Amino acid sequence: MRQFVQNKFRQRTLILALILSAWIVGIFLRLIQLQVIQHTRLKAKVIEQNQNKRDVLPRRGTIYDRNGIILARSLPTQSVFLTPSEGESLAQEMEKIQKLKPILGFTEADFDRIQSRIRKGDTFIWVKRKIDPDCAQRTKSLELSGIFLQEETKRLYPLGKLASHVLGGVGIDDEGLSGVEYKYNSKLHGKKGKCLILRDARNKEYYIEILKEAEPGQDLVLALDETIQYIAEKILESAVRDYQANWGTVIISHPSSGEILALASYPNYNPNNFPPSPEEGLNRAISYNFEPGSTFKIITAAAARETRAVNLSDSFDCREGKIQLFGSVVRDHKLFGILTFPQALIHSSNVGMIKVGQQIGENSLYQTIESFKFGQKTGVDLPGEETGIFRPLNTWSKLSLPHLSIGYEISVTALQILEAMNVIANKGIWVPPRIVKDISEFPEEAKGKSAEPQRIISERTASELAEIFEKAVEEGTGRAAQIPGFKIAGKTGTAQKYDPALKEYVSSKHLASFVGFVPADKPVLSMIVVIDEPKIGEHYGGVVAAPVFREIASRALRYLGIRPQNPPAPLITAKLHSEGSR
Amino acid sequence: MVRKKYGKNEILIGISCTLLSISALTFYIWHQTESIRIGYEIGALEKTIQILNEEVKSLETQKAALLSLDRVEKIARQDLELIEPQEGQVIYENSEPAGGNNKR
Repeated sequence: MRQFVQNKFRQRTLILALILSAWIVGIFLRLIQLQVIQHTRLKAKVIEQNQNKRDVLPRRGTIYDRNGIILARSLPTQSVFLTPSEGESLAQEMEKIQKLKPILGFTEADFDRIQSRIRKGDTFIWVKRKIDPDCAQRTKSLELSGIFLQEETKRLYPLGKLASHVLGGVGIDDEGLSGVEYKYNSKLHGKKGKCLILRDARNKEYYIEILKEAEPGQDLVLALDETIQYIAEKILESAVRDYQANWGTVIISHPSSGEILALASYPNYNPNNFPPSPEEGLNRAISYNFEPGSTFKIITAAAARETRAVNLSDSFDCREGKIQLFGSVVRDHKLFGILTFPQALIHSSNVGMIKVGQQIGENSLYQTIESFKFGQKTGVDLPGEETGIFRPLNTWSKLSLPHLSIGYEISVTALQILEAMNVIANKGIWVPPRIVKDISEFPEEAKGKSAEPQRIISERTASELAEIFEKAVEEGTGRAAQIPGFKIAGKTGTAQKYDPALKEYVSSKHLASFVGFVPADKPVLSMIVVIDEPKIGEHYGGVVAAPVFREIASRALRYLGIRPQNPPAPLITAKLHSEGSR
Repeated sequence: MVRKKYGKNEILIGISCTLLSISALTFYIWHQTESIRIGYEIGALEKTIQILNEEVKSLETQKAALLSLDRVEKIARQDLELIEPQEGQVIYENSEPAGGNNKR
């Protein structure tokens, strides 16, 4: 009996052992199948489900004006994204999005975009970028699975429209798209980092590891002065409106350093709402070519004196008030008598300056225009600069010399004309213009510039011309630019515009300009004002643009604490705090 | 089977060793816990510093917006009814005459 029980027990034990062994072998084989045979596929699936490597966007550098005023800064903000959960249908995913609608305010286009990306099987879908902190809090409180918030940065321009054409703007990913934001994008942007996010089975983040720290972008200090920029923009806007002009532009620079203190173009835009319309976004100070008219007589005069083709005492018969040129007629804006060379410039006589040009000759005029760098970029550190149009000597017609002598048959930018006037202000030295205060901080950008100051005309020629242009403001066409107590040198310009439809110059469309510097004997500011097609009152540069120069320059000089040489009476005492903190 | 009898000294050594081991283990666990707690605290403080820095930056930006000349001019002209000084109403103290050195 005992033997029987023992055998039975052994038998059952053996069966159980066999079953257990089979079970273990089964598990072992399944493990081999999962861990070895299907390893690659399954590992990829796990990573896809619970790991997410994401870019960490760097903090974009701040842009300051020359006095440390913030012009552009990136601040943290939240963006909402969706990671569709495994096993959830399209309808379930869209239900979550529907719940977010009252908070985030989607459009139909947003819905369609999200829906199509879920259908495509995307694992990361932006729901709404850069939302308000309040919206972010409300989104978070819903605790929807698969809906997450990610910290990003938003570019803010606290001064609104101020210096919009200089600053430019950024896209949704904080990439600079125009202005200095674009030009210095690589420096401002910094370098992206990388982070690893692990999620649990319910798709909740439980671990975030920074794989590579994001490097914040460098800050940028511009040569721009917020106050001068503001003055320029305000007065320019009011002038364009008052004259019902198409547009206007003003550039103010410090002649000896080449620093641009203000660059305004109207119409302008608010970079907080980037991108602007093409009309608003065009930086007309550097990206618009126009025939300059009489402001170009600066070059004719420089050529005349530099080559000694014309003496200061030479006189020209302008009594007829017109000159015949191979079938066409060029007129003066009023009748003059016999004018000396300085008088022809002071009164901006076309007839006189054409005769000056004829004495200079084609070769000398061409070489002088070329030496002033017309037809090439000034190298200012802003994107979109135009070269202007200056035709080679071998394509000139018989009319080219007289036309060029008075600023036609050539297209220039406002900055090129200002640079030409700066040569006179700097006693013959051309200084490259710049927007960023210290380019040496950015050696790569500095490399591309043609950048060294160079002598264009002799000091003697420059001094002679400065005196003539001072007289042009004292007694010539630029009288409206006068500021009591200050000596100003300047030149007016009134260019008839060419109508491509009519294929001729029309007497109803003009471009009024004034370029000058103050004080004439030791310049602190140089400025160009260009107003396109003024429609109210007179259209002359001396009437439209020169008063704008006066208004801007008088306020800017007061702000800079530059005392008039001959202060007018009566006086009220006031104390200036030029280094006041804000 | 004969049960071994331990002497007083042996028992004392045994107890001491046990206590020492327990103390060392307790210290180790306490040290680890404290390190982690301090780590969390440092992390939280770093986060607070970061948030405060962001707040400072945000306030600086708000300040710049509030001090924008456009806004200041509106207040000056509309609320305070200030006007531009006329030509000759200002003289300059401690400033350079035109043509002299200037702050630029």
